[in-house]
Amino acid sequence: METPSLFSPPLYMQRHQFVVEFVKSCDPRKVMDLGCADCSLLRKLKFHRHGIEVLVGVDIDCAAIRQRAHALAPLSSDYLQPSPRPLTIELYQGSVTEREPYTRGFDLVTCIELIEHLELWEVERFSDVVFGYMTPCAVIISTPNAEFNPLLPDLKGFRHNDHKFEWTRTEFQTWALGVCRQYGYSADFTGVGEAPDPDRGVGFCSQIGVFRRHADVSNAPMNNTLQEPTVYRLLYKVVYPSLCDNNIFQRILVSEVLYMAESLKRQWLVDKQGKQTDFTSRVHGLPSGEALLDDSRVELNAERNAIMLPDENEVEEEDEVEKDECEEGESALRPMKDGAEEDWETELG
Amino acid sequence: MDPSRPPGATRMPWLQPAGGRGFPADQPPVGRVRGLAVAAEELDAGRGRGRASETPALPYRRGIPLPATEPRSLPPVGFARGVPAPGEEQRLGRARGFLLSSLLPPVGIGRGLSLFVEPPAEPAPPVKRETVPLPAPEATPGPQEVKREEPPLPVQVDVPGPGSSLLSMMRGMGIEPAKTWGRGAVSVGRGSVGEFAPPVGSPSVAGEETAPEGVMLRGTSFVGRGLIGAGRTAMPPVGFGRGPTVSPALAPGPDAPSAIPVTPKDAPPVSADVPVTPGSSQAKAELKMEAACEPRKKAGTKGNPVVIGSNYIPIHCKNEAVFQYHVAFTPNVESLSMRFGMMRDHRSATGEVVAFDGSILYLPKRLEEVVHLKSERRTDNQEIDIKIQMTKILPPHSDLCIPFYNVVLRRVMKILGLKLVGRNHYDPNSAVVLGKHRLQVWPGYATCIKRTDGGLYLSVDVSHKVLRNDSVLDVMNVIYQQSRESFQDECTKEFIGAIVITRYNNRTYRVDDIEWSKSPKDAFTMADGSKMTFIDYYRKNYGITIKEVDQPMLVHRPKERSRPGGKQVITGEILLLPELSFMTGIPEKMRKDFRAMKDLTMHINVSAEQHTHSIKQLLQNISTNPEALHELSRWGLEISPEILVTQGRTLPMETICLQSASFISSPSVDWSREVVRDSSISTIPLYCWAVFYPRRAAEQAEELVAMFGKVAGPMGMRLDRPIRMELRDDRTETYVKSIHSQLTSEPNVQLVVCIITGNRDDLYSAIKKLCCVQSPCPSQAINVRTIAQPQKLRSIAQKILLQINCKVGGELWTVSVPLKHLMVIGVDVHHDTSKKSRSVMGFVASLNSLLTRWYSRVTFQMPHEEIINGFRVCLLAALQKYYEVNHSFPEKIVIYRDGVSDGQLKTVELYEIPQILKCFETFPNYEPKMTFIVVQKRINTTLYSYEGDRFGTPPPGTVLDHTVTNRDRVDFYLMAHSIRQGCGFPTHYISIYNTANLTPDHLQRLTFKMCHLYWNWPGTVRVPAPCKYAHKLAFLSGQYLHSEPAIQLAEKLFFL
Repeated sequence: METPSLFSPPLYMQRHQFVVEFVKSCDPRKVMDLGCADCSLLRKLKFHRHGIEVLVGVDIDCAAIRQRAHALAPLSSDYLQPSPRPLTIELYQGSVTEREPYTRGFDLVTCIELIEHLELWEVERFSDVVFGYMTPCAVIISTPNAEFNPLLPDLKGFRHNDHKFEWTRTEFQTWALGVCRQYGYSADFTGVGEAPDPDRGVGFCSQIGVFRRHADVSNAPMNNTLQEPTVYRLLYKVVYPSLCDNNIFQRILVSEVLYMAESLKRQWLVDKQGKQTDFTSRVHGLPSGEALLDDSRVELNAERNAIMLPDENEVEEEDEVEKDECEEGESALRPMKDGAEEDWETELG
Repeated sequence: MDPSRPPGATRMPWLQPAGGRGFPADQPPVGRVRGLAVAAEELDAGRGRGRASETPALPYRRGIPLPATEPRSLPPVGFARGVPAPGEEQRLGRARGFLLSSLLPPVGIGRGLSLFVEPPAEPAPPVKRETVPLPAPEATPGPQEVKREEPPLPVQVDVPGPGSSLLSMMRGMGIEPAKTWGRGAVSVGRGSVGEFAPPVGSPSVAGEETAPEGVMLRGTSFVGRGLIGAGRTAMPPVGFGRGPTVSPALAPGPDAPSAIPVTPKDAPPVSADVPVTPGSSQAKAELKMEAACEPRKKAGTKGNPVVIGSNYIPIHCKNEAVFQYHVAFTPNVESLSMRFGMMRDHRSATGEVVAFDGSILYLPKRLEEVVHLKSERRTDNQEIDIKIQMTKILPPHSDLCIPFYNVVLRRVMKILGLKLVGRNHYDPNSAVVLGKHRLQVWPGYATCIKRTDGGLYLSVDVSHKVLRNDSVLDVMNVIYQQSRESFQDECTKEFIGAIVITRYNNRTYRVDDIEWSKSPKDAFTMADGSKMTFIDYYRKNYGITIKEVDQPMLVHRPKERSRPGGKQVITGEILLLPELSFMTGIPEKMRKDFRAMKDLTMHINVSAEQHTHSIKQLLQNISTNPEALHELSRWGLEISPEILVTQGRTLPMETICLQSASFISSPSVDWSREVVRDSSISTIPLYCWAVFYPRRAAEQAEELVAMFGKVAGPMGMRLDRPIRMELRDDRTETYVKSIHSQLTSEPNVQLVVCIITGNRDDLYSAIKKLCCVQSPCPSQAINVRTIAQPQKLRSIAQKILLQINCKVGGELWTVSVPLKHLMVIGVDVHHDTSKKSRSVMGFVASLNSLLTRWYSRVTFQMPHEEIINGFRVCLLAALQKYYEVNHSFPEKIVIYRDGVSDGQLKTVELYEIPQILKCFETFPNYEPKMTFIVVQKRINTTLYSYEGDRFGTPPPGTVLDHTVTNRDRVDFYLMAHSIRQGCGFPTHYISIYNTANLTPDHLQRLTFKMCHLYWNWPGTVRVPAPCKYAHKLAFLSGQYLHSEPAIQLAEKLFFL
């Protein structure tokens, strides 16, 4: 949205990085991103997972979600080495102004550049739903800092034509502190995208409020994990393979054990055969250095070409030959077809 | 393209007046003119991408408009009709006139136009003259255009209006700017284009493009890019004709599906903004054209009809049509992503279902003919006008739609939860874990939507991916523990050429090198110029902590390839961390482990029944997944629930001829018993031959020689006692020294037999180098293990003896080929897996009418060198040898060329074949007939037998030459070999040149016959014997000899 060259790395990445750092320090288990749009933050969090076990994205625009949803699917390598901890990713279509029971009891809710897309009267509802109903342990809200706008070249009006408002720091903090009072949260304010030195006074380009619920307020029903969403619509859900899945755990365990057993056996065979070769080489007076691994299972065909696996055909074919020799009686010579000699030359025209 | 802009601007003023006259102001004719030049250039460049085939044809086509001279006097309609015939003549005349033109398609265009101009220019004679010369040079668009412009103006003025519509038309063609006649011109252009397009082979494209394209040319730099190579070529003339006028133009056209000839008078108003004729009529025209494209005659008749299935699933298109639009941004928007973004903002107008490449838009729905949308460029708040103009109505199965149907298909596979690995999709949830080997086999599918002779099909092949639980670093650690000294060498051997999959994305990379001097601690430069170490990069972006900071880096060098845009070329190296890369594919060590491979192949080699079951499973999964169905239905695609079942044929069994015995091959195409019981066609008596064996194999060697003596008689072989050379030990030097001294002291040795112990590539390679290059002598290496089992010794000895007979120059068996003076050539290429060394081409040509004597050559070529250089040398040598043997040259030459992918067919056709033909000119008055057949083994087509509702493997000789075959080629699928295990994979044969006039029946049967002649196997093989021989030869030379074998061996099958 903003002029790309102004910040490096780009501002949206800085915002995401901010969330990642927060996740790293606070280690939430259930995280929900409101207004996830193309799911880029979710994709980031999927890698910087730390303790996250449930990752939920909500957006009102179902096309935007659908577009990139499959990028959240597990990678091939996630199946090769399942992670020790479970991870479920779900995407919902829904509005942040609706009360959805499923959304309660999260550890962290992020609203990155979301509230400025709401009408002011909706912000009221939003506060009530997020802080009053969802009551997550922590909320991260970022929104443009209107004071920064004069520094953006060529900017007239808002930064995006869908923005309904852009707040100054005071406006944002006033709203935030009001919310804190009302719902029992405390807030810290920071931001990303520092202004160049002379203008440092205007603050960050994106202001961020980090809200934490007061420990003593315990109105959150935490046992809602089994509840199915009622208002939101599930668009996508994927469960990552993990060792917490008993089947996977067993499978992995068994194959590890098998592999170890196999390598022990192989080691033993090599040792044993090494001795044998030593023996034979002594018999033939050969230098014992060249211990040939004479594994009788490794077959070579007569031509000794590179394909060391003998052609199945050839093996079978040999067997057949032997069989035939027992039943010599069968005449192998089939009569020749009555020789209507073909001549393609005449057909060529 | 940019250069074109400035002139356009200058011209604008000119145009404006014209516009006042009735031309749409927004489409300055001038612009169009320029467009032409540009387009022409594009053709050259862009063509290659889409359909290279048309290029050559273009000049001719272009020539067609010329007939204009005639039409002058005729009414528009008549003109159109007359066009084709005169076109021909014209073409000839032309060609003669300007040699240059044929070389440069674009030039051709220019000329065509100018000529046009000439005739009509009556009113403004002086002008005409000018124009004519200009176009011919062609090369410099700038000045030309300017000049051209001038003429138009006067002309316009002159043209009275309706009366001289014809004239105006012509003028319009050439000159363009003039609107009035512009219209007329259009019609002409169209007509001609339409007429000629079909033969060219791009039927669908030909007609409609004109108007839109012209527009396109004008404005954007994107002009050239797009899916429609052919269309564009056609366009130039049309575009000129003037977009606006197009609709009227259509009418006059030859077939005139929508015959609404608009006279100039009424035209101006209409033409201005409604370039496209009523959709329906256009659509009809399209369809008609497609139908007109006559299918190639490729069906044979010989053999018994048999019901077979194939892994194709019919797709029905429920949409009536797909609409193609051209999208123009004014002012121009260069950034593709910005274009995409703007179009995304207008989904309300276009609907959710779109396929857009930056300038061409496909929708399953019809918009207004021209739609204007507004967007704001966010970088500078510039208001951008987006003009979406319908250019074509395509039948829903049009070739142009296939690419985005395949995008839809990939999305469907994703929706089903399948993972993309490489190019195919796999299901990790059904993975088979082979714990013993720490690897997993993922079942999956190679899917693709194709348009074949039978229509639109989903081709599904069952595929398996072998993935390893170990990272490259794990494997390196194991190697390190096993062999510290040769660690780096071992790693190179193990990893180079391997495909790895990374932990942080789903991409696969081929390892081209290992960078030992780098480590994750090293920094690299990011796109924004900043530096970052690999450790930091992976931590920051993927939250991955690198555990081993001292590992080397894997290097992947992407193939240089240009993106569809033709601009970006990916170059440079990609460095990968061993710790974050998983190995794929079967480990080398495991390949040598017979039992392990059996474990594995059990899962990978699926029978026909399992194959079809998997396919049905996929179809079932699609049909029960609402999201997948929805995705398909967006484009109106509906996948049939049934696998294709159709009728094929089994070719007649062949008669195998030995020296005196002959017999019809059994249905299992196996004559291993017969060949050891009766005399081979010819045998070479072995008077002087030597056996080398280490002391510990003395006993086996003795037994083998004794057995040789017993079994030689029935085969008609005479075998004297060999020279026995017992070696002190089995070291490579001992073998080499001993053989070498023997060969030098006794120059008459006919054959060297080596009995070797263990599985030793180095020894094998040393022996072969010595006996094939340094001291040429046929040689036979025998692993002691193969002759260790007494109960099998007899049959093994028989086989070895047959092989020896071939190597020393004997002939085993043949089949009758009823063609006289025939030479059959087989060509195959061996690529080194590590790509480090050169590729090797094996070349084998028959020397006699029995097809029992073969002349073989090998050439090495650098990675990007064309195969043809070496090919010429080989062909000339083979022809000379043929002459020596037969005292005449072959009259017919059939070339089986293996190792050509679909993408290379055009190159072979346009480049290799002409070079081969040129080869024949070396000999005076020599013009043999030639048939060139491309042989493709690695294909995704499977054939099944189908009986009583069950799928099985089809019998040998099954041929399928319709429905799933290529629309543009004479091709067929033939399964020559007998399948004992797994599924029936036929070989695909494409005849791309055939002056020998072999009928489809001949092609099929000749090919089947050739599959009988591989002497190392007493049965049929998958590919024609010469190809198989060439393959063997190339493999031996590339893998073991690393140089060309001695020329003395060229007439013997020493490489068997």
